[in-house]
Amino acid sequence: MPGPASPNPPRPTGLSRRRAVARAAATCAAARVLAPGLFVGCSLGIPPRAKTVPVGLLHSQTGTMAISATALRDIDLHAIEQINAGGGLLGCQLEARAPDPRSRPDLFVKRAQQLLEGGVAAVFGCWTSTSRKAVLPVFEEHKKLLFYAVPYEGNESSKYCVYGGGVPNQQITPAIDWLLSPNGGSKKKIFLLGSDYVFPRTANFVAKKHLATKNLRPAGEVYLPLGDRDFSAAVQQILFSKADCVLSTVNGDSNLGLFQALTDAKVDPEKLPVISTSIAEDELRSMMPQQVRGHLAVSSYFQSLDTAANREWINGFRREFGSDRVTDDPMESGWCLVHLWKAAVEKAGTFETEAVRQAFVDGLELAGPGGPVRLDPKTQHCTKYFRVGRIRLDRQFDIIHSSDAPIEPDPYPQIAFPGWSCDWTKGGITRGPEVSIDGDI
Amino acid sequence: MSTDWFWIYDIPTARLALLSIALFVGVYWSGLILVRPFLRPLVRNIRAANDIVGYILSCFCVFYGLLLGLIAVTAYQNVSEAGSNVTREAAALSALYEDVSRYPEPHAQNLRWLLRDYTRYVIKYAWPLQQRGVIPQEGTIRAEAFHDKLLDFQPQTPAQEILHAEALRQLNHFLECRRMRLFSVKSALPASMWYVMLLGAFFTILLCWLFDMTFVAHLALGGVLASYLGTMMYLIVDMNQPFRGDVSITAEAFETLYARMNEE
Repeated sequence: MPGPASPNPPRPTGLSRRRAVARAAATCAAARVLAPGLFVGCSLGIPPRAKTVPVGLLHSQTGTMAISATALRDIDLHAIEQINAGGGLLGCQLEARAPDPRSRPDLFVKRAQQLLEGGVAAVFGCWTSTSRKAVLPVFEEHKKLLFYAVPYEGNESSKYCVYGGGVPNQQITPAIDWLLSPNGGSKKKIFLLGSDYVFPRTANFVAKKHLATKNLRPAGEVYLPLGDRDFSAAVQQILFSKADCVLSTVNGDSNLGLFQALTDAKVDPEKLPVISTSIAEDELRSMMPQQVRGHLAVSSYFQSLDTAANREWINGFRREFGSDRVTDDPMESGWCLVHLWKAAVEKAGTFETEAVRQAFVDGLELAGPGGPVRLDPKTQHCTKYFRVGRIRLDRQFDIIHSSDAPIEPDPYPQIAFPGWSCDWTKGGITRGPEVSIDGDI
Repeated sequence: MSTDWFWIYDIPTARLALLSIALFVGVYWSGLILVRPFLRPLVRNIRAANDIVGYILSCFCVFYGLLLGLIAVTAYQNVSEAGSNVTREAAALSALYEDVSRYPEPHAQNLRWLLRDYTRYVIKYAWPLQQRGVIPQEGTIRAEAFHDKLLDFQPQTPAQEILHAEALRQLNHFLECRRMRLFSVKSALPASMWYVMLLGAFFTILLCWLFDMTFVAHLALGGVLASYLGTMMYLIVDMNQPFRGDVSITAEAFETLYARMNEE
């Protein structure tokens, strides 16, 4: 009798498991020997992620200063994108971080702290002097650089701030000299009008001191809170003073109210021109051209500057941000500052603040869209041209005066701040007697 | 799925698919050599062991196949929904752009410019961040800047009042769609689903190891099954993140809109 069938009948002959394992082992051994040659260059194919270095942009994108400061954010982004497109900086791509301080000094401090604690290499930002002064202690504490692009009042120099905008000796005093000259209409009665914060107050203090050297006094002096738009009373004061010119340091969207009030009072810019320090092409976008036509502005740069470098720069910006975008003085300074920082980092070979500052010492130069720019290592301010523009109906300027060469910066003009000076290549700030800007001239 | 795994999406699509297949086939074949000799004795003395293993595997595969199918559909719906949100946001933005273009100057130009700025940000900055699984923050600032500027406008005529009301309504719709897009950046299958799926794949392979057949047939048939499991896993991984991988949402809707904004 045959025995019970095996539950698993014998397998058909063929490649046995033992043989297959032996062959697999032989194959593995061969692969082990040949692999270094066969798989050279093999990887998961993950593209290498470029090393990034964060850079802070501290510009108000909402609130009263947004009208001006948003354009600065855009030009900084443009400059950073240009650097990244050119291969980055020291082999790293720059990563812009742009929080919104909402035009509030307290938020400027908070956002600056967040940026610096987040490890940014440098910060480009601030518009008003109030915001700059609020954040400077934070930068000094963290030993990081703030690049400030807006014309300001001077009377300040920080080791950790690079100033790209003009100071009064590059803007206010040349404006007064021009107004007093025959080309400027030989004005004698200049009314000082400003927003009520540190820039207008200090700029006008310097203006009064400068007028005093010419044996002149201002026809009047009025300040309105920043953001205020009701200028009807101020315009009545101007008319009552019989001023023949208004030097305006009104800032932000308050300018909308100022020119509305001037229009309502039927002020003729031929007879009573307003010469503004804080109106540029970008602010004009929000203004009615009929209200501002014929009035004047001082600046180191105007979009209408007819040079090949300027045209190329404007076209580059417009290609990225839209053909109806305009460029202006703080934007030009902002762009130059980003590129000056790039030059300093390349020269230093590192993003470290002290090494970057050391790179300033020999002086850095750049061919900017508005002309050559040099960073003065003593004051950490930039050389600037002085130009006067008359507002046209197309929200652009006719350039009616230009200095022959860039003016050297002097943040402590001796007529206003005697004894004060600064030289960061030596000992820093030399202090003179305390000066009260509210004091009598 | 935690963002620690996001490097997976940096692997080119075709290579990721091949890797997934290779991983499953590799596990199957390795197990065949290393694990099967220890498993096989468990069923060696059972009559018609292949039939029993086959029944169990069929039964198991019904549940597992259903699970895989449903998960794949869910992942696809997730991507599809996120895609709809993106399209709706771009459409709302376009309608808003048209509305504010009818405002008197200089409001129209300023508002258009802010919307263009927002669109540029979404394309150039927000999208790369979304692809890394990061919710972009700075678009909110741009949307707020637009909102503030829109509220600055004081209608002077009944026609302007109607236009302004419509622009505000459109703005709310746009903000809603935008929020939905941001929510979908992090949307993905929960970790527990992944555990169940991977465990199911492992049991499928384990049951296959129990079959009694020639070694080469095992390698070939098991390899086919494992490679298909690998393909399914790749598909689900690829669709898991709406803004990553081959099956993902692009910024095309915004790019088209931005091109049109710049033509004007």
